[in-house]
Amino acid sequence: MSKLKDNKLLVFGLILVMIVISICVVSFFYLPHDPNAMNTSDRFQSPSIEYLLGTDQFGRDIFSRIMVSSQYALLIGLVSVTLGSFLGLILGAIAATSKGFVQSILMRIIDGFMAFPGILLAMMLVAVLGKGLWNAVIAIAIFMVPVFARLSYSLVLDQKNNLYVKAAKSYGASKGRIIFKHILPTILPRLITQFSASIGSAILIESSLSFLGLGVQPPDASWGLMLSESRQYTLTYPFLAFPSGIILIITVLGFNLIGDALNDSMVKRRASA
Amino acid sequence: MKRLKIAVFISLLAVFLVACGSNEGGESNSDETENAAQAGTTELDESTEMNTEKKELNMALSVDPDGLDPHRTTAASTFQVTNNIYDTLVKVTPDGEFEAGLAESWKVSEDGLTITFTLRDGVVFHNGREMTAEDVKYSFNRLMDEESPRAGDFANIIEINVIDELTIEFVTEELNVALLSDFAYPWTAIVAQEASEELRNQPVGTGPFMLEEWIPQQQLVLTKNEKHYDPALLETITFNMMPDATSQVSALQAGELDVIAVTGDLVSQFEGNDAFTILENEANSIQLMAMNTANEALGDERVRQAINYAVNKEALIETVWWGYGQEIGSHYPPILKEYVDTNDVITYDPEQAKELLADAGYADGLELDMYLPASYPAYVDAGQVIADELGNVGITANIEIVEWATWLSDIYAGRQYDLTVVGHTGRLDPYVLLSRYHTDSEENYFNYSNERVDEILTLVQEEQDDTKRMALYEELQEILAEEVPAFYIQSPTALTVTSSDVAGYEAYPIDIYEMKDVYFTN
Amino acid sequence: MLNFIVKRLFSGLVVLFFISLVTFIVLMWIPGDPALLSLGTDATPEKLAELRESMGLNLPWYEQYYQWLTGFLVGNLGNSYVFGEDVFTLLVQRLPVTISLAVLSMAIAIPIAIVIGVLSAIYKEQWIDYIARSVMQLGDAMPQFWLALVFLVFFSAGLGWFPVAGFTPVEEGFFASLHSILLPSIVLAIGQIGPLIRIIRSSMLSSLEQDYMLMTSVNGFTKFRSIGKYALRGAIIAPLTIIAMQLAGILGGAVLVESIFALPGLGRLLLMAVEQRDLILLQGIVIFVTGTVVVVNMVTDILYQIVNPMIRFGGSHE
Repeated sequence: MSKLKDNKLLVFGLILVMIVISICVVSFFYLPHDPNAMNTSDRFQSPSIEYLLGTDQFGRDIFSRIMVSSQYALLIGLVSVTLGSFLGLILGAIAATSKGFVQSILMRIIDGFMAFPGILLAMMLVAVLGKGLWNAVIAIAIFMVPVFARLSYSLVLDQKNNLYVKAAKSYGASKGRIIFKHILPTILPRLITQFSASIGSAILIESSLSFLGLGVQPPDASWGLMLSESRQYTLTYPFLAFPSGIILIITVLGFNLIGDALNDSMVKRRASA
Repeated sequence: MKRLKIAVFISLLAVFLVACGSNEGGESNSDETENAAQAGTTELDESTEMNTEKKELNMALSVDPDGLDPHRTTAASTFQVTNNIYDTLVKVTPDGEFEAGLAESWKVSEDGLTITFTLRDGVVFHNGREMTAEDVKYSFNRLMDEESPRAGDFANIIEINVIDELTIEFVTEELNVALLSDFAYPWTAIVAQEASEELRNQPVGTGPFMLEEWIPQQQLVLTKNEKHYDPALLETITFNMMPDATSQVSALQAGELDVIAVTGDLVSQFEGNDAFTILENEANSIQLMAMNTANEALGDERVRQAINYAVNKEALIETVWWGYGQEIGSHYPPILKEYVDTNDVITYDPEQAKELLADAGYADGLELDMYLPASYPAYVDAGQVIADELGNVGITANIEIVEWATWLSDIYAGRQYDLTVVGHTGRLDPYVLLSRYHTDSEENYFNYSNERVDEILTLVQEEQDDTKRMALYEELQEILAEEVPAFYIQSPTALTVTSSDVAGYEAYPIDIYEMKDVYFTN
Repeated sequence: MLNFIVKRLFSGLVVLFFISLVTFIVLMWIPGDPALLSLGTDATPEKLAELRESMGLNLPWYEQYYQWLTGFLVGNLGNSYVFGEDVFTLLVQRLPVTISLAVLSMAIAIPIAIVIGVLSAIYKEQWIDYIARSVMQLGDAMPQFWLALVFLVFFSAGLGWFPVAGFTPVEEGFFASLHSILLPSIVLAIGQIGPLIRIIRSSMLSSLEQDYMLMTSVNGFTKFRSIGKYALRGAIIAPLTIIAMQLAGILGGAVLVESIFALPGLGRLLLMAVEQRDLILLQGIVIFVTGTVVVVNMVTDILYQIVNPMIRFGGSHE
């Protein structure tokens, strides 16, 4: 009974994500229009066969721009979370396996980063690194580090006292070997769950950054940037705020649902174990 | 500890640089009305009878003033407000003429080096003290003080002599034919010495309004000064700080505001609606895409001309400013009397552009870096449209959007750029607008150099014959139109919308709001 | 216990010091010269040098930091470049807006989340639960700036139910003030509802499963006492946890929401400080915001320890 419902959640999430991924894949081979080509005499067109979602303030095809933006969204989501989780795992594992001073310093640093509201930290980092796609990726990755560090820290700490780890220690296995051979496989599912859930928030942060003009730069398209450009026309052409807003919600929702479904099944497995 | 008095504000509306049509992100709305002048299509004839009940006006500002001390800032946002709190010796009319302010009359000596003002009798400061020639002297000394960002503009004044209580004389070192205009700018405000330490937050002047309350990022309230020599018609003015253009429009529609400045796309919200009056004013400012002639390719006149040929100016103005602006072919706004129409020198012709590029050796394409100031969405939009058109003739413009701070330091002061879109505001004296083309000018961020231009700029300051001076200015405009150190886009039209019962609101050739003649009709 | 409190206080201070140092260094790196900004296009090299000196910008970074830190310790956060005003005064001025927003948004979000969360736990796997979880998921996935934009267009500009922008202080009437921040608070509340439902639902589920209420009656406690002892403790801890967890998120959301609704709060002050490179002000705000988060977390941890010494400290922070 409950299995079925979980699957529903997971399936729905997967469908949403698959939609976005297929849009992304198609965009590499086919676009209805050049997403950056301006056609100023055709601006602010309503949706039509020619322009499926209408045109923007420069007469660019909104549908094509949304398609291309999916590339950035997925790229930024995947790369920044991968980077962030990797660094976070290392940091968390070091903190969990070290003692005393090193551990508390590491944890205080992580706490410090956690105290920053996400957007504030990302804004500061972008202000230093400069704007643009890759700097946004780095900023978001850094934002993700403490999340994963905290998680890995507590997971590794839990595992450290487990019988089999103690057993491994007793026959003299090295620290690295214990972490990679014994602890990592057991905590990996939890990390993957967090990974999936984090992609959604990474994409949200990217769109906020782009909305503030700190992420993807014009004339390239990004959902957040398209929203920010639409802001000027909320009274005259309110429709502009919807296509990019909705695709953004679909994407984030998809990744969150998958993360949640994984998490739920994990909790259950733990509970039944 | 001595308070840091130096005004530190990224004046997005800084001195010469002005943006039009930008409104997002809370930076600039004031520039829409900036330096607007005459030609107002005022449609206030239905009822001009004054409403004796309604005397409180609400207006929107998108950014706070940078303090209310007129001698310690260069921010346009300050002067728009302080113009109503302080008076100047000379006032400028909407038509750009000079009239009596705190000075009733003035006399220029025969050599043109000395100007003597006779002050109005019986003028009192907001604190009740009578104003005398000593206050004028004090104020100008304060303006020329080293703490003042305008000190350099007034370095030509070498002596200020108080003749008697109501007579004061200024002696200048070099001849400047436009000397009188120096006494009409809002930063030459006369202030009360005893209040000078706190002017930033507690201004004391002689103007038609007094500061009642200022809560930064919220509102600034002025009340009528009953003792003013020409009393205001309104009792209270509330400036509401609203960074978002859309919010301003909605608030005007909801009756929360009476006056706002708008961009071209938002005017449509009010067109054909009797409840509102739309004021269109040609601005004393221009907008352009500067080209750095220090770049190897852009150093070649043919490449610069090719860029001018490549872009359809009319379509650009239509797209970005919704057609609210006048095409220009040189660095001069049509509103000033020295203007010559140079629009025919280079017209839209992409084929010609390609040929010129081929001639210059760039048949295979050319890559340039374009920097656009983030705070001014209109310039960012314009840059994108231009880049798109340049792409059609084989020029790749790589766009980078920079903060205003970076723009000022790297582009403007550091001159590290190929292309950038920005605006320049004119003053009462046309020399100020053009002096940046002098080879040695600090402000020559084009790195442009032309001997004849340098020569004209020297001659023009000393030429006392109006016709000859006019001819020099015209020649200068023509040279610029030929050699195009910039792609000159347009002189913007400033758009102001008021509710239809507001009367007497006019635009001026300098960036001020003059509120004392504003009133409500029945 | 005392030992724990001292340790916790100390580690909080270390975190604060670390944050201030990092922020300072990071801000030093930000391009854009405050002195040049102040002079705008009127800058000459001599004027620039003079101004840089008077602003203390020509000192090496560690001396500037030292100056800032010693000032901070005596309660002097320095003067904002932009407003020429004491940073502390500016913070205090803006605080009412942001606090009202935070409080009102929590006042909206918490009851709704409790109702939805409790119901969905009780009726687990039934339609109420599905709806609740869908609401939660949607709330999580919706960007707040988009929601703010859409609400503004629809409710303020379109229907005219709310003022478009601006804040009415409480002195001008409680309800007028409430009205002026209601819409932005709802936007912020929607952002919080997702995580809140999640916490409430899962803690409700686990307590239902654990059934310690049942245990207590077996142990001979009266029902009244068991509620007093356990439920009340839970009631103290829950809001604390929520506030501690949500604070950073609310403050982050406030940056965007305040700027869209033109509310003169900390968030807008922060955005302006970033845009105008008012580094002293920015440093002040960052320290204030992160400091608040750190202190609230610290207090929560300590209270946790006092209320329920059995909770292990330093676990997962989900």
